[in-house]
Amino acid sequence: MDNSSILPTHKKGKKKFYLDRFLGKAFLYLILIAGALVFIFPFFWMISNSLMTLGETITRQLLPKVPQWVNYKEAWDQANFSKYFVNSVLVTLGTLAGLLVTSILAGYAFGRIDFKGKNFLFGIFLATMMIPESVTLIPNYMLIRGTIIPLPGGTWINTYWALTIPFMANAFSIFLLRQFFAQIPKELWDAARIDGCDHLRFLIQVVMPISKAPIMTVLLFGFTASWNAFQWPLLVTTRDTWRPLMVGLYGFVQEAGPYTHWLMAGAVITIIPILLVYFVTQKQFTQGIATTGLKG
Amino acid sequence: MESSETIITTKGSNAFKKQAFKDQITGLLFTLPAFLIIFIFGIFPIGYSVYMSLFNWQVTKGAFIGDKNYLLIFGSWTNLLVLLAGLGLFILGFYVWNRAFQTLSNGKRWAHILGALVLILGGVIFVTGWGLMYNTGNKDFLNSLIVTVYYALGTVPAEIIIGLVLAYILYQDIVGKQVFRMIYFLPYITPSISTAVVFQIIFSSRETSFANRLIGLVGMDPLKWRFEPKPVLNLLGLNVSGIAGGPSLALLTIIIYGIWSFVGYNTVIFLSGLGNIPKEIYEAAEIDGGSKWDRFWNITIPMISPVTFYLSLIGFIGTFKAFNHIYVMRTPSAQNTVVTTSLLVFDRFYKANQYGVATAQAIVLFLVILGLTLAQNKLMEDRVFYG
Repeated sequence: MDNSSILPTHKKGKKKFYLDRFLGKAFLYLILIAGALVFIFPFFWMISNSLMTLGETITRQLLPKVPQWVNYKEAWDQANFSKYFVNSVLVTLGTLAGLLVTSILAGYAFGRIDFKGKNFLFGIFLATMMIPESVTLIPNYMLIRGTIIPLPGGTWINTYWALTIPFMANAFSIFLLRQFFAQIPKELWDAARIDGCDHLRFLIQVVMPISKAPIMTVLLFGFTASWNAFQWPLLVTTRDTWRPLMVGLYGFVQEAGPYTHWLMAGAVITIIPILLVYFVTQKQFTQGIATTGLKG
Repeated sequence: MESSETIITTKGSNAFKKQAFKDQITGLLFTLPAFLIIFIFGIFPIGYSVYMSLFNWQVTKGAFIGDKNYLLIFGSWTNLLVLLAGLGLFILGFYVWNRAFQTLSNGKRWAHILGALVLILGGVIFVTGWGLMYNTGNKDFLNSLIVTVYYALGTVPAEIIIGLVLAYILYQDIVGKQVFRMIYFLPYITPSISTAVVFQIIFSSRETSFANRLIGLVGMDPLKWRFEPKPVLNLLGLNVSGIAGGPSLALLTIIIYGIWSFVGYNTVIFLSGLGNIPKEIYEAAEIDGGSKWDRFWNITIPMISPVTFYLSLIGFIGTFKAFNHIYVMRTPSAQNTVVTTSLLVFDRFYKANQYGVATAQAIVLFLVILGLTLAQNKLMEDRVFYG
């Protein structure tokens, strides 16, 4: 880009040339910043509204005169958020633990082991990515209710299992890890095998430590999917026992209606954990996307 | 991957066989946990849905009624056949037209005319089939398909274009690239329920809502946004009505949300795709004297096309599955102009308890997605440039 000096065409004087470049660059930054403002504005609106008095939300000030931190406490108490929050954390942790085990094992098998039926199985897994939830939702609901096959305990409606087990594996995570595992040089495995290493030990001691980036990517996507889940929890939780935050927030929207400031405080509460995880995994996550070649 | 047989084979075929056998067992064992869950919750339900759709199933299984639930959707099988025949002719016409570009002989013009004729004929038959279906079939369902298509067409192309532009700019020497990327990706990972609630407030029908104040700046009257079932074109002064008149303002609001929440994903994936284009190609073009713009059109666009293809596929499938934010942002007064098929199916099931009808509708939706995906695959196949 900077080899302009060796090109003979730019002898008209450097000044104009630099101005052009400067204007071009400024224009690019203008687009980027405008984009960033649009993306960030709803979050700003959420936070600013969450700190307003009810009156201020109605007259739609841009910023509250005095931040009403008490809104957070009120929203938290009113909507039984503390209960939902703990539920969401436990459900997400359980789902993630299961998801990591199943997708690391399957990703390894598809990426590094030769076995009959591998391509067939992998094809079936990938095909499930295309299936809309609408098709699987109703039978799954009946499965969990215990009407198709008898379940231990009669029904799983309002149980921890209903919210976690169905999400403990998905084709996307397996695909992502497979892409990465397949790139690991086979010399590593040859060497390990001569030392008497089997697949499981090789996976745990060699493959996993060098696969932090894609595993973090799976974690972040898994975390957001589980934390943000709405449709399924809405179906299978009829009581507060295991009701997660998103369903709680939706219920709060129905009830709190005009109380915008509480609503926004509630929304901010639901977003904070996601933001924390996102900022922590950010680096590995972008690296994970770049190295696994997540692009069809 | 081909594993490392070379070392073992020197030790004799017995050891090799033993290793192959071990690999077979380990492979199956490792995939078993994932397989169990994906099979039970992802594959078995499809078969069971088909089974349920053949019964008069309302919470509990009723009488076997065969194709009745499907007939409720289409009116009659003849309607569907007419529609599919039209579609088939349309594709045939497209094929003939397309082939005409490749043959350099005299037949080109004739092929063009023939192709165009078949295309028009196919279109007419398709519309006739649709009309027949609409008169005797399930209007709610057919409307929901139109709404879904509007939603898909409103979001996916815009997401792709904005995503590519932002990624391309970020790919230049930009200070604070990480920060921009982080901000762009934020809407994608934050819970859609929470952000949709904010959009509810921004696009509320009050005169003082943010959206109304914004359009007030350019002298427009306040609009009802999420509550407005009238088509956007209607509000612009064109005299159209009903769902056929294009997306309603309420749906447009949801489309805006859809674009806002998904552009960041496209940007991040495009950015990693841009990173995979070899730098030498750009350098070669620069020496040849192409302008920046030329380079964008002649190098970046073709080289990035597999990513574009992947994203448009994911995008289309995603819009047909979209549920959460639409469910939160819909209002009763927007009527059926925002009810996409996935919402309709959910209502049939959750509110009306008509399991049989709902599963039949879900399966038709699935087939539509499958058809569209295949068509898109076929259509883009020739245009995608793979390395």
